[in-house]
Amino acid sequence: MEIALIGNPNTGKTSLFNNLTGSYEYVGNWSGVTVEKKVGVFKNNIGKLIDLPGIYSLNPLSKDEGVVTTYFLVEQVDRLLNILDASQLERNLHLTLQLLEYEKPALIGLNMIDVANNRGIKIDPAKLSQILGVPVVPVVARSGKGCDHLIEVISTSSNHSKVKKHVYYGKAIEDAITKLSIELFGRTQHSPRWLAIQLFEGNEYVFQYLADLLEPSKLESLVSNLESAVKQENSHVKSLENYIYMKRKEVIEKILAASVQKVCSIVPLSERIDAIVTNRFLGMPIFLICMYLMFMLTFDWLGTPLSDVLDGFLTGPVTTGFEKFLGAVHASDFIHALIIEGLIAGVGGVLVFVPQIFILFFFISLLEDSGYMARVALVMDRIMESVGLNGKAFIPMMIGFGCNVPGIMAARTIETPRERLMTILLTPLMSCSARLPVYALFVGAFFAAHKALVVLSLYVLGIVVALLLAKLFTKTLLKSETSLFVIELPPYRLPQIQSLWRSTWDKGKGFVRKAGTFIFAGSVFIWLLSYAGPNGLKVDMDDSFLAFIGNLFAPLLEPIGFGTWQAAASLITGFLAKEAINSTMNIIYFVPENASLQGLLSDFYTPLAAYSFMVFILLYIPCLATAATIYKETGSRKWTAFSILYALFIAYVLCLVIYQGGKLFGLV
Amino acid sequence: MFGSFRVGEKGKIINISKVGRLVQRRLLDLGITEGSEVCVKCIMPFGGPVMIESCGQCVGLRRKEARLIEVERV
Repeated sequence: MEIALIGNPNTGKTSLFNNLTGSYEYVGNWSGVTVEKKVGVFKNNIGKLIDLPGIYSLNPLSKDEGVVTTYFLVEQVDRLLNILDASQLERNLHLTLQLLEYEKPALIGLNMIDVANNRGIKIDPAKLSQILGVPVVPVVARSGKGCDHLIEVISTSSNHSKVKKHVYYGKAIEDAITKLSIELFGRTQHSPRWLAIQLFEGNEYVFQYLADLLEPSKLESLVSNLESAVKQENSHVKSLENYIYMKRKEVIEKILAASVQKVCSIVPLSERIDAIVTNRFLGMPIFLICMYLMFMLTFDWLGTPLSDVLDGFLTGPVTTGFEKFLGAVHASDFIHALIIEGLIAGVGGVLVFVPQIFILFFFISLLEDSGYMARVALVMDRIMESVGLNGKAFIPMMIGFGCNVPGIMAARTIETPRERLMTILLTPLMSCSARLPVYALFVGAFFAAHKALVVLSLYVLGIVVALLLAKLFTKTLLKSETSLFVIELPPYRLPQIQSLWRSTWDKGKGFVRKAGTFIFAGSVFIWLLSYAGPNGLKVDMDDSFLAFIGNLFAPLLEPIGFGTWQAAASLITGFLAKEAINSTMNIIYFVPENASLQGLLSDFYTPLAAYSFMVFILLYIPCLATAATIYKETGSRKWTAFSILYALFIAYVLCLVIYQGGKLFGLV
Repeated sequence: MFGSFRVGEKGKIINISKVGRLVQRRLLDLGITEGSEVCVKCIMPFGGPVMIESCGQCVGLRRKEARLIEVERV
């Protein structure tokens, strides 16, 4: 049995999903954090639960919402589980009525009854259930209260609505529904009534679906005749869509009058917090302070000491342990070198940064879960607007700080195609966590006194370059004036440690897994390339295949400060995964005990060249996984190629300016 | 008109049809339409967006769009 979980954004859908399926899922608190179709298995194995993106209506505006409509049109849905926010019942019921028109078995999870109670809203679930004709189960998704009962109800009752027609749309519309139903008879498995109403509301997806079954011109004339008929009947009506909305609203008001009691109204804490964080003068400084604290904790106060401990463990006990073991089994020199110089150096060089990456992911989860992310979008909108984007585009970019891949996918919530494309193209400039190990290595070697500040400068540089390019693209490639910025600001919610840990782990595990697979294999390969050369095995590193490949590109990198084959070779591996740069460097500059890579690096780079190198890493290319996601999301080879080429170009030019300019000013 | 509203002031929407179609639709999704009572919660500096509240629901929208919404003071 397949059950689809549907509800408005910010109703606690993903929390409920986690509670019902017991799976490790990712919980967010800004509109549209569910960017992919996620499937979980119910705790008691009664079937599968499908988590769909949050929507307000089945008539979509954004790509993200279109996912749901497509799902309804194309796939077999057995049952619908509609989650409602009890404190926002009126708005939520618009979707419920549309779902009931779909005429599949349904049931309702009435979430956040605690929030509603606190606001003085008393709801009678039994009465609501009686009017809607489907079971209504009160739950508190965040704590899991009522979820067992919900599962029980899902597995026992068949939940076909006992009420056939919830909304009477007036004679003209009802006649048109009947007319279309007759035409559609036997041609579709969906409820003709639902299809008809969606068509009249102007749902493009449903129109496309129906156009395959009937003459498109016929559909168009049906709708336009209906619209003029409705307008004639009711002079105040502006559009058919609006008329349908108002009809639903009338019904909802009746439902609410019968089932809801408002006792008193209390000002929620949220508004008091908002008075401060979105204050006209304090909003931006507070955001910057938050970012600063995040970076200080990640790099200075907490992350670096932890990484140092881990580094000590890997280079100390782990390496000695392997040495002893290899000695005991009399491993050949080749195996010895492969494991110590290849694997431990390569994989270890990446694993060391796990603490810092998890801390960063923890803060991103915290921002999402608490509801602050939507405020950031509001605070940033003015700046984003000036470059032709909107505040919402800032959210994918923030997520991009963790990893560019989910960031690019999160761009789906942006309604206008032009802004969405631009966000996709620019998100790779956000410094993702995989670039962090490279910075950590270099700032440790060259800028030990100002670690966090130097790294923060790179993050800011990424944002500034993205904004400037956005302006440039708006003026040249992607000209269009339509922009849409309306954002729901969910109430603040105290993040729960359990769900925070879940989403941190969910994001971070990919990094650990990559270290165990991709980086592992890559390290072996890179080491082999450095071990073998045209003249046989165990050659001097400078005569290896790796040096040979690196030397091809090294002259190109000379003007920007790091024309060594080592830099060129590690940049090539960086396309596969940015953290592979570290693995490669650890292998290339393999340093025996009692010395560090950081110490060795100062022989090859000046501080200025090191900074130039970090800037190049920041911008030069989206990694393989990101490029694949760009292709998937844009569906265009042209834009994917563009995203790679413009990044290379910008990176080169900027590094040229930094390095040559820096030299001019006497920096080294 | 909404443009002249200050933080904390309340009003009732009387005409929203001058606002862009997409914005209108999105506001409708959030339950904000003609007849809704709205309260200005905060106004961002430098012509930035405004945050309005309606039925306990906070929504951010651009000031130039907010200006197109006709509101009568209550």
